[in-house]
Amino acid sequence: MSTTVDKPQPGEDWLDEALRAEGREHVATYLADDGFTARVLERLPRPAALPAWRRPVVALLWLVAAVVGVAAAPDLFYDVFRSLVATVVAQPLTLSRIAVVLFMLGAIAWSTIVYAMRED
Amino acid sequence: MSSAAVSDAQLIARVLVQDDRHAFGELVRRHQSTVRATLRRLTGGNHALADDLSQETFLLAYRNLRSFRQEAKFSTWLYRIAYNVFLADARKMKEVSLPEETEVDDLAPIEASDSMPVASGAALKLDLERAMAALSDAERAAIVQCYHNDLSHEEAAYVLGCPVGTVKTHILRAKQKLKARLAGWGPEATS
Repeated sequence: MSTTVDKPQPGEDWLDEALRAEGREHVATYLADDGFTARVLERLPRPAALPAWRRPVVALLWLVAAVVGVAAAPDLFYDVFRSLVATVVAQPLTLSRIAVVLFMLGAIAWSTIVYAMRED
Repeated sequence: MSSAAVSDAQLIARVLVQDDRHAFGELVRRHQSTVRATLRRLTGGNHALADDLSQETFLLAYRNLRSFRQEAKFSTWLYRIAYNVFLADARKMKEVSLPEETEVDDLAPIEASDSMPVASGAALKLDLERAMAALSDAERAAIVQCYHNDLSHEEAAYVLGCPVGTVKTHILRAKQKLKARLAGWGPEATS
């Protein structure tokens, strides 16, 4: 890499050539990072973190909403529950059905755990 | 996958979708040298100021990454931000110091030092840097973008936020000033 600009020769556009030589040198010169990137990353705005108390409060609110819902319309809840139980009981109990139900319950439990453990 | 195999566009997507700070760090690492070098040229070799403005450039790039439409190269977009950051700082400084625009007529020509032919190339480089410092901000920026960053006139116009004709005018005037300033280095002086 040349670090100097050649002496101009008579008759050529010496200034243009001198500027181009400077440009070539500029492109070839690599400035070492020396912690520059780290300093930029330190100054980035903090990610919008949700407060730690938010999740239990949201869960509690859902629970309260469910209890209020059941209390507000107990007959409706009872009818729905009874229909569900009747539907399940009416099904013939086979090993494959039990396996499917266990698999579905496992999948729901696993998804819930993964969702609860995720980082915001 | 090596970091070099990942394109700028992929890194930008990671930053936008996942707020991936490592991806943004990789973008900074890739472009820090050219952005800092460009700002060193624009600030007339003030390394500390250039590094401060470079940091500001990347912070602004992070905040405005969503507005990057990939119409230009990412590096060109960074040059545009860098130039705007530089201009804002220059305006602030001018409010404090109130300098006056330098005219060609006011510039004393720099004499070429023929007494040391071995070092003449380095001397021309030094004189060129000194002469560049006498240009207006816009003229110096046009020279830096077109000659140092090797941008086309159209790309330089995008970076400088002005019409292509204005870029050409800035370059023409800058070269006139440089020729006047470096008269001692011209063919007439060396022949």
